[in-house]
Amino acid sequence: MKFDLTATIVFTGLFLLVTLLGFMAAHWRKGDLNQLHEWGLGGRRFGTIITWFLLGGDLYTAYTFIAVPALIFGMGAIGFFAVPYTILIYPILFIVFPRLWVIAKERGHVTAADYISDRFGNRLLALAFALTGIIATMPYIALQLVGMEVVIGALGFPAGGLVGHLPLIIAFTILAAFTYTSGLRAPALIAIVKDTLIFVTVFAALVIIPAKLGGYGAIFASVPQEKLLLAPPSGSSLGSYSAYATLALGSALALFLYPHAMTAILSASSGNVIKRNAALLAAYSFVLGLIALLGYMAIAAGVGDNPAYAAGFEQFGPNFAVPALFLDSFPSWFIGVAFAAIAIGALVPAAIMSIACANLFTRNLYKEFIRPNCSEADETRVAKITSLAVKAGAVVFILTLPQTYAIQLQLLGGIWIIQLLPSILLGLYTRGFNAIALLIGWAAGITIGTIMAAMQGFGSSIYPLEIFGVTLPGYAALYSVAVNVLIAFALSPILDYLSRRSAVSASRS
Amino acid sequence: MTRKKAKPDWLRHWPRLLFLIPCLMILWVPSYNRIEPALGGVPFFYWYQLAWILIGAVIVFLVFMIETRITRTAKSPGDDMTGVPGDSP
Repeated sequence: MKFDLTATIVFTGLFLLVTLLGFMAAHWRKGDLNQLHEWGLGGRRFGTIITWFLLGGDLYTAYTFIAVPALIFGMGAIGFFAVPYTILIYPILFIVFPRLWVIAKERGHVTAADYISDRFGNRLLALAFALTGIIATMPYIALQLVGMEVVIGALGFPAGGLVGHLPLIIAFTILAAFTYTSGLRAPALIAIVKDTLIFVTVFAALVIIPAKLGGYGAIFASVPQEKLLLAPPSGSSLGSYSAYATLALGSALALFLYPHAMTAILSASSGNVIKRNAALLAAYSFVLGLIALLGYMAIAAGVGDNPAYAAGFEQFGPNFAVPALFLDSFPSWFIGVAFAAIAIGALVPAAIMSIACANLFTRNLYKEFIRPNCSEADETRVAKITSLAVKAGAVVFILTLPQTYAIQLQLLGGIWIIQLLPSILLGLYTRGFNAIALLIGWAAGITIGTIMAAMQGFGSSIYPLEIFGVTLPGYAALYSVAVNVLIAFALSPILDYLSRRSAVSASRS
Repeated sequence: MTRKKAKPDWLRHWPRLLFLIPCLMILWVPSYNRIEPALGGVPFFYWYQLAWILIGAVIVFLVFMIETRITRTAKSPGDDMTGVPGDSP
């Protein structure tokens, strides 16, 4: 790839603009940034529009923009599961999370683990929540770096070595600095720029590229037949059908359990803000669906066989499909805009994720187990430092270990995070549930889900479940959380009975 | 606070049953895994699912509007959404 000066200048200019915004955000809707709910939740004052940008920046990340079309490019129709997935998340967002928001606001919860600790009065269950959240989010932050690395590579910077990694290190240092000073206000403000750039890029791509390739009919006609549709059931296996549906459902159920999604939800100013967003976020979903189709445009444009991009594909695999398509279709200055959109699209979620991890560490590990009576200012200082440590960890992770580790860990993260679902739902919708039963269910779900992924060599989260001689290939997260729920329901009455009996016998003696 | 007037949850939240429509339609994969009828060269599989994003959003909006009206006319104090400071209907 040759170095593109014009694109790099536009790219750097836009990057400097958001840097400036990030630091200025500290003064926006000013609050006392020495309080954790001000630094880490923006004072819970974000209205419908800012929450829309924040949740959008959170859910539709740089990695999404690179990886979803890459999946379509490489594997075809199955990659389109991102669309049913986004359709399923809005009812869940509408029904469950305004309820959680009200309780969190009343009781001053900053994290999901705060809620669990308060609701069930069990420190171990809250610890399980905090650890699951942090461990599932770390590889997600690392993947944002992968998205950034791909576009920096596509700009023509030399690959590998300290010089090759320098742009990435600089970008993340800037990100760390403004997150430290401004907290959640920084990604909220930058998200506005990011989405404007993303929308401009996507609409330009949807007008310019099909015109060049001879229209949508020609694009779909150039896609190999077997990629266009899901493999239908054959013999005693449900084929891709069950995989497609369970991937969508499992991902949708897991999404809002991620700490960064929880952070964006709790920073809203009311339950109705969340409900309105359940309808308005569809705009992002639609754009995501269109972005997914860029994978087919990359096939139609033949970038995979173009020798000019061979080096990029060799280094980044199918993830290079979208950058290659943009290089192939856009003039230099617009390549700068498009790549800046993706890179800034990495900054926003990475900032929210690191803040969410910092909130969890501070509230549910540091304050709970290390220094229970630390002051509010202390609490916030620890959170700020943790957010730096989390990002440094992600950079080291990506620069020293193979990329496949981050992808595999992210896959496992989805399986782990969904195990929090029973506790949240049963906490919100039942009177009482035995905390130990939930904890055992959680442990069983994590173990079974991890074993299912291990049996696929950590290469796929689709597990071929066999029931009565029928094979149901499906998302391991959904199968393992089903076990989790069954165990929680089976054990709760038994454990409740036992603890009542021991309480009675203790009062007698 | 009269207890009688507060409607039970299922009465206040019946519009949420509408959410079943997009969820079931989109999870029933065999119903849309085909090429024809294509729309402007885009196979059915793709434009059908994109269309459901928009229909899904309309349904969420409808549920929001209906629920807001129900709570306003009933003025039930037990609603988990109203009465929270800063929560305008």
